[in-house]
Amino acid sequence: MQIDQDTYPQRIAQVQAAMKEFGLAAVVIEPGAAMQHITGVRWGRSERSFLVVIPAKGAPAFVVPGFEEERAREMTPKGADIRVWQEDESPFERVAQVFQDRAATTGKVGMEESLRFFIFHNLKKAAPKMEYVTAQPALKSAGVNLVEAPRRRP
Amino acid sequence: MTAGVVPITDGERKQRIAKAQRLMREQKIAGIFLEAGSSLYYFTGVRWQPSDRLFGLVIPAKGNLAWLVPADDEKRAPAGQDIHLWQDDPFPRLAQMLKDRGIATGTLGIDERARFFVFDGIRRACPALEFTNADVITAGCRMQKSPAELALMQRASDVTIAAYRAGLATLREGMPQNELQNNIHAAYRALGYPGYVSVMYGAYTAFPHGSLTPQKLKLGDFVMIDDGCTVEGYQSDITRTVIFGKPTDRQRQIWTLERKAQDAALAAAKLGAPCEAVDIAARKVIEAAGFGPGYKTPGLPHRTGHGIGLEMHEWTYLVKGNKTPLATGMCFSDEPMIAIYGEFGVRLEDCFYMADDGPHLFSKQSPAIDQPFA
Repeated sequence: MQIDQDTYPQRIAQVQAAMKEFGLAAVVIEPGAAMQHITGVRWGRSERSFLVVIPAKGAPAFVVPGFEEERAREMTPKGADIRVWQEDESPFERVAQVFQDRAATTGKVGMEESLRFFIFHNLKKAAPKMEYVTAQPALKSAGVNLVEAPRRRP
Repeated sequence: MTAGVVPITDGERKQRIAKAQRLMREQKIAGIFLEAGSSLYYFTGVRWQPSDRLFGLVIPAKGNLAWLVPADDEKRAPAGQDIHLWQDDPFPRLAQMLKDRGIATGTLGIDERARFFVFDGIRRACPALEFTNADVITAGCRMQKSPAELALMQRASDVTIAAYRAGLATLREGMPQNELQNNIHAAYRALGYPGYVSVMYGAYTAFPHGSLTPQKLKLGDFVMIDDGCTVEGYQSDITRTVIFGKPTDRQRQIWTLERKAQDAALAAAKLGAPCEAVDIAARKVIEAAGFGPGYKTPGLPHRTGHGIGLEMHEWTYLVKGNKTPLATGMCFSDEPMIAIYGEFGVRLEDCFYMADDGPHLFSKQSPAIDQPFA
């Protein structure tokens, strides 16, 4: 599924460079075209949050449902930082922990534009000090400019 | 199997809106904004394909619904409704719609699945508003089903059982899993409803969400089929795990344990009991046999069940920590699977609804390892 083993690290580095330019401490992305383009990971969206957190500095971390850990490890790069949440736990606490671990404790977090409202809403409760803004200008500048839903005519 | 299906009436939809408005007033929410999706369908019967061009609905706490529609789609807008067309930027238009309904300050509920750019556009255009998750209103209405909804879910369940019966009758040694899948899909089409099934054989039955690896059916394999269909938008979700050929003692033992766990969950589903009690009851049976504990495998790696309705998975959930009391009209799956990676998995899934006298199954449980249907 890798296009080339350097492709995704390069794309992540591009996104991180753009994040610095746009003043984002982290970017949060749900499964979809942007996640696939940047990380190579393809996953279906459901009520169980599966997220990638890209910090301005350091390695991305994947936040995944506990019983999907094996499948997530198969789909992510070897040695990827995977944070598991069990059914009675909060994925948003895991994301907040990633913010802590990557020293992204103040400032702006960019939300990928197709991210669903409940994820933002719960994340804001788990990490209330951060300011949540659109990630789109930074992602666009890094060459990620994907329309999630198919564009109908015209 | 399409005869006699009664769609949701406009009268029932009006009652739903009235209930939503009552909940909004109780919770001090000025209105809710819905994107295209299952909640919008629930309240209006309107289906719309979400795209980059924003289409949405405002349900104010008081007054009539207002629709935000791309100007290009004017002809497709719902007839006889209060339609607001937008040309270049939907958000100033939406702000005006909200203002006209007295929603300039206070709290606006946002569809839980609204995309971030939609929310971001609204908060820029309406800086004096506060925002919350609209699920307190939408789930507050949708969680408890009416008799008309239960009848549609019953039909969806009956159709799925009929499609599974037809499909499993075609099993043969060497059958690729996509052939069984195609046979069940064909059965759904013949029955008149679109449906989907995932098929797992042998060791792949341990994976809760299956595997795309090509498989061929061997004697002694477990066959697992899961998923469902929709009738007037309402879902079924049924899993059967059945032996092909002769079971080993181990297969028989685990299958029987799974059935006991499923029974225990159902027995714990009492009106007023917290949702988590159902999960605890099923898990206790599985743990007593030496599996787990908790989510550890071999054992039950996920919650015991999910709510079901217009979405296959919706609020509320049979999961540890969920204190929501079981109430009449709530619908759930009962599926405490046993996953033994490297060996096999067994999942029996039937859905039930809560009535005044306790839980009622939409489908009869599988009676035996070689008998998927009662």
